[in-house]
Amino acid sequence: MNTQQQPVRTLKRVPRSPGYWQDVWRRFRRKLFPMLGLAFIGFLVIVAVFAPAIAGTKPVVCEYKGTLYFPALGYLNTTWENPIFRVDKFRGVYPENLTKNDPKAWAVWPLVYQDPYRRVRANEWPGLPAAEPLMPPDRYHLFGTDPAGVDVFAKMVHGTRTALVVGFISMGIAAIIGITLGAIAGYFGGWIDSLVSRLIEVVMCIPTLILILALIAVVERPTIWHMMAIIGFTGWTGIARLTRGEFLRLRNTEFVLAAISLGIRRPTIIFRHVLPNAMAPVLVPITFGIAAAILIEASLSFLGFGAPPPNPSWGTILDAGRANLSKWWLVTFPGVAILFTVLSYNLVGEGLQEATDPRLRDGRA
Amino acid sequence: MSYWFRLGTLLLVVPILTTGCSKKEEAKTPAPTEKSAPSVETAKPVPAQAETPKTPSLEPFTPPPLSEVDAKAEWIDGPIVDSLDRLTKYLAEHPPIATIEEVSSLRNDSKEANEKILSAYSQQPKAPGDVNWNATWNRCIQGDINSVNPVLISSTSDFDFQGATSVGLIGFDWEMRPFAASEIVKSWQTSKDRLVDKFVLRDDLTWSDGKPVTAHDIAFSFQVIMDDNVPIRAVRSGTDELRWVHAYDDHTVVFFHKAAAATNVWNISFPILPKHIFETSYKSDPSLVTSKEHVAFESKPVVSGSYEVASRKAQNEIVLKRRESYYMHNGKEVRDKPYFETIRFRVVTDSNTALLGLKSGDVDEMTLSAEQWRQQTNGEDFYKKNTKIRDVEWTSFHVIWNMKSDKAPFFSDLKVRQAMSYAVDYDELLKKILYDLYEPCAGPFYKGAWMAPKDYPSPYKQDLDKAEELLDAAGWKDSDGDGIRDKDGKVFEFSLLYRSDPLLERYCNVIRESLDKIGVRCNLSPLEFTVLQQRLNEHQFDAAFGGWGSGADPFTTKNIYGTGEGRNYGSYSNPEVDKLFREAELEFDREKRGEIYGKIHLILYADQPYTWLYWRTAFYGINKDLRGYFMSPRGPYHYGPGSSAIWRAQ
Repeated sequence: MNTQQQPVRTLKRVPRSPGYWQDVWRRFRRKLFPMLGLAFIGFLVIVAVFAPAIAGTKPVVCEYKGTLYFPALGYLNTTWENPIFRVDKFRGVYPENLTKNDPKAWAVWPLVYQDPYRRVRANEWPGLPAAEPLMPPDRYHLFGTDPAGVDVFAKMVHGTRTALVVGFISMGIAAIIGITLGAIAGYFGGWIDSLVSRLIEVVMCIPTLILILALIAVVERPTIWHMMAIIGFTGWTGIARLTRGEFLRLRNTEFVLAAISLGIRRPTIIFRHVLPNAMAPVLVPITFGIAAAILIEASLSFLGFGAPPPNPSWGTILDAGRANLSKWWLVTFPGVAILFTVLSYNLVGEGLQEATDPRLRDGRA
Repeated sequence: MSYWFRLGTLLLVVPILTTGCSKKEEAKTPAPTEKSAPSVETAKPVPAQAETPKTPSLEPFTPPPLSEVDAKAEWIDGPIVDSLDRLTKYLAEHPPIATIEEVSSLRNDSKEANEKILSAYSQQPKAPGDVNWNATWNRCIQGDINSVNPVLISSTSDFDFQGATSVGLIGFDWEMRPFAASEIVKSWQTSKDRLVDKFVLRDDLTWSDGKPVTAHDIAFSFQVIMDDNVPIRAVRSGTDELRWVHAYDDHTVVFFHKAAAATNVWNISFPILPKHIFETSYKSDPSLVTSKEHVAFESKPVVSGSYEVASRKAQNEIVLKRRESYYMHNGKEVRDKPYFETIRFRVVTDSNTALLGLKSGDVDEMTLSAEQWRQQTNGEDFYKKNTKIRDVEWTSFHVIWNMKSDKAPFFSDLKVRQAMSYAVDYDELLKKILYDLYEPCAGPFYKGAWMAPKDYPSPYKQDLDKAEELLDAAGWKDSDGDGIRDKDGKVFEFSLLYRSDPLLERYCNVIRESLDKIGVRCNLSPLEFTVLQQRLNEHQFDAAFGGWGSGADPFTTKNIYGTGEGRNYGSYSNPEVDKLFREAELEFDREKRGEIYGKIHLILYADQPYTWLYWRTAFYGINKDLRGYFMSPRGPYHYGPGSSAIWRAQ
């Protein structure tokens, strides 16, 4: 016997073939408009997160009486603004009071000294004139002022948060419900499928806008969270249907059968093996849903039933423009913002659809 | 802007005519037992309450013979006034500070300019030749009238329409002094015990169909208004304070009151129906609008006033023409000839459309919004044909604090209410948001009015330090460092309700911002008007923004500040105030009554059940050819002579 060992043949490393998601991203990336849409959404996210640092009247960071504070966080949650400023009778006006009470104090200010909730008075900020109601855009008020003298730019910047949060939270709720129910219905089939499908049909019949109007009448203090919950709890049907369809298709594929024959627990199969493969087409109705939710919020605010005042919202600014038709800046800026945001989401949704749907992508590529 | 008009409806100066009710009708009135019988017999289980017989609003009453009334009464004569005559005399004693020529090119951009224009345009003609007797007055109303029937009035449009087409026994002038209208009344006497009023009517006034206006029309109208089957909207309040109204002959009508009160005179002025038209028809159709006869009446009403309906297009326009049989009788002029040949009411719901109409000359006058006053009426396009005037009305706006709210137990404490009043940024509200066109308010009665105190309190000014001191003293401190005051674990956070409206939202936002500065969280809560009204009625609120219009007499404020009264939404209670209200009702001397109401004003100011904010200003755009806009605390129309003082120059 030849005891001499055969030299091990060195294997040539083959580049790993791209995974499904990588493939989707590769295809998505090639398209110009979906990418522009994605970039715009990214820009909005940045604006929303850094809104208090972009426009505001509270310092982003300041040192006052030897301690560091972040008063601008008060825009996100009022209790995050340290009570020391209230005790020291700042009353919302920082620039003058900071140095008056502590000559050594320093502060980093937002890019634009304007407030989304109130009119800036004279002598608040050196060289900044008092805001008057309905001023046209100038170098102090980039987008003009509204009928109460509040800066429209500041309102727009802070309103971005409302617009994005409404879209993400409501569609987040819808996605959780829709994917779970759709997955269960599609995977198990039979009477569970029938039951869930009927439920979907029932929920589809509920008119969201009217439900929200009814809620506003019933709830003592309706907030934007109520609105998001309703949009979420009624908007999951499309997602559920698509998920169910995907699961019906994938349930009988080889890898699922293999997983079942290996004795893997059902929840693991559903959520670890099937779901990631079913996700791509489901993302499409979610992106469209976000756009729809933003429109619902804006139209409710436009009708005066939206986020309760003084919450800044693009729709509210539009509403002010309705009563002051000659003040073009009240209509143009929020209108364009809503248009571009909704358009971006729709472009991203469409891009996703083209990148994930084999019929669309192969036909066009 | 909100519920102010409800008070206004009580005491409108609608001049109206009348007829009485005969004994026959009284006999026909069903007895209470007859009415309730069916509900007892129904087979279905009926809630216990429904079984108890419903008492009709009007209890039967047998009026004593006239001789007995006369013997007991010890009559005191009441004033009979020709209101236009009174106004003309007043204007003669107070010469204008500017002439029409002087103000014709003047822009109304300052207080002085406004006073000059007001003065010049308030004048009456110096000679009959000054008046264009063939003129048309194009008025606009915001909504179509509900009905031409005078007892069914409820909206401002209805009142404007009735003001031109009907007469009434009692009117009041620009100082809210009541009098009997000389157009219809020959004599007015009040008994010494103040329980009976006797009127003798003139015999030269006819309905537009030629039948005379008699005392029976008045007594009949009373029966109709008090009939529970008739859906009366506004005019039953006040009228229901009357015990009975009886016509002794065609010209003599006597009003029996339930109690002796200085306010009795206001209950007499209900609208008058033509008895010969409604006598039989109203029993078969108590709605007064659906039967064939009543539909016919709606399109061609029989009226008692100076104008009659020439044509009417629903939701579009109503054209009135001067009624010759009103001012002429047997070939003689017995009343003032109305100034216009035609009055056209156009229904214009959108105020921008109305303003376009005013600028083009299609409309002769309109009520402007503050925005329109400030921004859209300054150019040559407006001043070419028109001018504008403004005046303060006795309509105040305020925040009501609910002193018995479970969720917001803060406002029962006087210190807290004072702190609220000190916190509000009045400068921002009045100077910026309200364009410096409104006056600050410091209590229920307008400064200088006969019922306001002589030592009138000064309006609150913002003083945040004082507000914080008061809150600290009341025990509301920020103990947990979250920026909001609290006490015994209860956080100082409440909802401020207001009617959903972008203007009101701006006002309320000033209050929210002010309170935010002193560590009080105020959440804005816009509501639909009927929901707001319901919440106020049920006392289910913490604080609310609202306004009260002024009645012609201050006794109506008892309903607002008296303990347990109907519109005392904030559950304010002060035994001293209650006592003074009772005293004032029994005091017949106007000056002494004024002093009592002045005391009430001062107590209310000290107690701050409301944070008073401002008096409303009314803005009018008028065609330069029109004259006679003399302002009362209720505007240029709703008093005596009001709209009948307006004329068009040659």
